[in-house]
Amino acid sequence: MTTRTKVLDREAGRALSALSAVAKRGLGDPALAELVVIRASQINHCAFCLDMHLAIARRHGVSEQQLDLLAAWEEAEDVYDERERAALALTEAVTVLTEGFVPDEVYERAAKHFDDARLAHLIALIVAINNWNRVMVGHRIPPGGYTP
Amino acid sequence: MTTEETTEYAAEERARMSWAKQAPEVYKAMARLDAAAKQGLDPRLVELVRLRASAINHCAFCLDMHTKDALAAGESVQRIVQLGAWEESRHFYTEKELAAIELTEAVTVLTDGFVPDEVYEKAAEHFEEAELAQLIATIAVINAWNRFGVTTRAVPGHYQVGDFE
Repeated sequence: MTTRTKVLDREAGRALSALSAVAKRGLGDPALAELVVIRASQINHCAFCLDMHLAIARRHGVSEQQLDLLAAWEEAEDVYDERERAALALTEAVTVLTEGFVPDEVYERAAKHFDDARLAHLIALIVAINNWNRVMVGHRIPPGGYTP
Repeated sequence: MTTEETTEYAAEERARMSWAKQAPEVYKAMARLDAAAKQGLDPRLVELVRLRASAINHCAFCLDMHTKDALAAGESVQRIVQLGAWEESRHFYTEKELAAIELTEAVTVLTDGFVPDEVYEKAAEHFEEAELAQLIATIAVINAWNRFGVTTRAVPGHYQVGDFE
């Protein structure tokens, strides 16, 4: 399978990079950011994004166990703390809007662990990776092209 | 003498948070991204794309805003209403618009599996490469706004054309 086009919109790409950077900085937790980004990329089946962010996560010291079990985090209670679990639940709800909104219990659970400013940046991070996922899947950018 | 009838609607819910106030730099980045993506694309086509994605993602605020923006851009009520059933009302739209709408659905619903070759190729027939890149960027960006709108439960009904310009 080859990429469909090499033409990504450069200005939009730069703006999207800026969005991701601002969101990540505001969240202030690089390891958690990678868990969130990888979980969204799993749901959206973005091969390029998974390849890239698994590499970044390892660099940030996220454990192999946390990466291995991420798709089944709900069943792996001891592997993720309450804050991580709240962020992952929010990630799933915000990523899959087609099945209906973001439930109150999911939002409130996140709001318990993140103050308003951090929560806004966490939401922004989930939004930004969803945007990347769409661009990369839409253009079918193959995995493996990312080098740190 | 006339009696005025008033209808009792359900109470308006409050937004969960004002994310643009909590994260102003994020808002600025979103505005920049939005402007870059749509630059040069036909405004009416952009609004059709935004309306379709917002309907799929159930973003009430976005539907309110982009219905008003579409009407302001000269769109017809009929084409806006038919958009939810565009497959059965293809004759309301150009082949180019239909290709863009179909791509919008595929890029918006990634959870059901990728963007089919036939959908991508049909779009590529109607949009040259750079324009197609902008169309995909535009679809991705309205998906981004939809996620902010739904997650923070932005309240629909109060938008006026030009509010964010």
